[in-house]
Amino acid sequence: MSKLIKKILYAALTIFVALTAIFFVIRLSPGDPVETVLGQKATQEEIIKLQTQLGLNLPLHSQYIVFLKGMAKGDLGKTIFGAKDVKGLLKERMGPTVTLAAVSVSLSAVIGMFLGILAGYKKNKGFDNFSRIISLFALSFPIFSLAPLLVLFFSIKLNLFPVSEWGELKHLFLPILALVIPLSSVIMRVTRNKFLEEVTSQWVMVTKSKGLGEVAILLRILKVCLPTILNVVAIQLSVVITGTMITETIFDIPGMGSLLFDGIQNRDYPIVQGVIIYSTVTYMLIYFLIDYINEKIDPRIQS
Amino acid sequence: MSRKLTREMKLGGGILSLYVLWALAWFVYRYFMKGSISRPYLPSLDMELELALPFSHGLILGADLLGRSLLEVLSAGLTYSLSISMIVTAATASIGILMGYMAVKAPSWFKLVFDLLINLVFIFPSILIAIMIMAVAGQSMQGLIFALIITGWPGYAKIARGEAKRVLALNYVEGARAVGIGELRMFFRIIIPSILPVMIVNMVLGISGVIISEAALGFLGLGASPYSWGAMLSAAKTVLLEAPHIAVILSLTMAGLIIGLNLLGDGLRDYLDPKES
Repeated sequence: MSKLIKKILYAALTIFVALTAIFFVIRLSPGDPVETVLGQKATQEEIIKLQTQLGLNLPLHSQYIVFLKGMAKGDLGKTIFGAKDVKGLLKERMGPTVTLAAVSVSLSAVIGMFLGILAGYKKNKGFDNFSRIISLFALSFPIFSLAPLLVLFFSIKLNLFPVSEWGELKHLFLPILALVIPLSSVIMRVTRNKFLEEVTSQWVMVTKSKGLGEVAILLRILKVCLPTILNVVAIQLSVVITGTMITETIFDIPGMGSLLFDGIQNRDYPIVQGVIIYSTVTYMLIYFLIDYINEKIDPRIQS
Repeated sequence: MSRKLTREMKLGGGILSLYVLWALAWFVYRYFMKGSISRPYLPSLDMELELALPFSHGLILGADLLGRSLLEVLSAGLTYSLSISMIVTAATASIGILMGYMAVKAPSWFKLVFDLLINLVFIFPSILIAIMIMAVAGQSMQGLIFALIITGWPGYAKIARGEAKRVLALNYVEGARAVGIGELRMFFRIIIPSILPVMIVNMVLGISGVIISEAALGFLGLGASPYSWGAMLSAAKTVLLEAPHIAVILSLTMAGLIIGLNLLGDGLRDYLDPKES
């Protein structure tokens, strides 16, 4: 039990350091947010007004305390334009992003593991080589170049799916396809390599000589491979989060990505900061959760 | 080194050299025939040419939204993308090697700090932090390079740390130490050459990572130049119906470069570490 508490403390410390880093990186970046928002022609009055609104007139350490107090209360501040509550905005826009990310991660995991094992089974034969080429291509089209091509093919050439609507099940198809293609190829490659590593190991020989069936052996190998695969998913998660956000801007999905994009366009930087902080914390929580699950599955992993 | 070059390496190297030649040719063309590379490339702003199809109006690849020759904008983007990613990769790898080595060699409390720092920054969702930095810094070149470097080094540091640990335990390093070699000489003459092969593989793969990150930032409107491929793709997606060739050409050009780098990286890895393949 104390081990769990230690883990939770470590996670909390990491998230605290992450928030601190975000705070200082913003303040120490070249460029001035006030100038970025107002442009260079702003009058002294406007600059001071915005500085006060953002709390940038305070000395750095008081800014940091205000920031931490806000974080503790879950307060992400107010938008520059319209003074809306950033947290409220996030709550409104969370749904589509979480749906997209969750569905595409689970789909990719299933497809990637299945194809990976298949490729491992047929090592250096037709399917394996084919999968190698496919994953090379899939990883060479970043999501913002893949998605327009998918739209071009499925929506404009074949007229199968609408481009920018949200609500029905069929609207999910293209965005999810754009997210699943790269992620499932990564998982496929990792599964294949890990599978090949395990399949020749001694414990598999022993289970085989004990006369266990193909399927039973396969399931055992899969269990051994699972921590490696989950680990890759954890690392890829930050790619998935940004990928989801970029996908949203392409398909006009009213999620957190569109919120972020609008925030960037309007230079409303409390929105940008809110989205980044929210997704960083979520990402780290999932990362630690996966880390914990991995240790439960395979006690040999002790980081 | 009589090992056979892998097919992947040859193919990847070939593709990459074509791109580098293209970038050089464009640089020479701009610099010697049009005067200066730093002077912004002015669009012709010819309404006739707007969204012209490939092989029309004497333009091989057609024109973009502003009536500029797509070939020229694409070349500007290539030069920009290649130079940014090489600068960033060189910087991040150097910082990474230094930090990774420090995490192994420094006094114990220092070591702890480096270790913790590397682990912490490594699990940061790097592109999100880069977005944050760019949103605050505005679209400036310093901001972009700062953002990409600060989020890119921990990957190299992790590898350098592992490699340095491995190399320091080898016999000849112990021998060198017994002869009384100085710390600096040790670092430059022994550590660097022995971890360089692994670092180079990761740098080649890292370049394609930086190209993608830079384009992603450009796509979100956070690039430092209108010639970022990401920014161009973002514009091209708005005219997907009228001029699909822009998005297609951009995607394929970018994918070709990334494929070249990934093939070369994978091939180099197999070449340098035969037990892996």
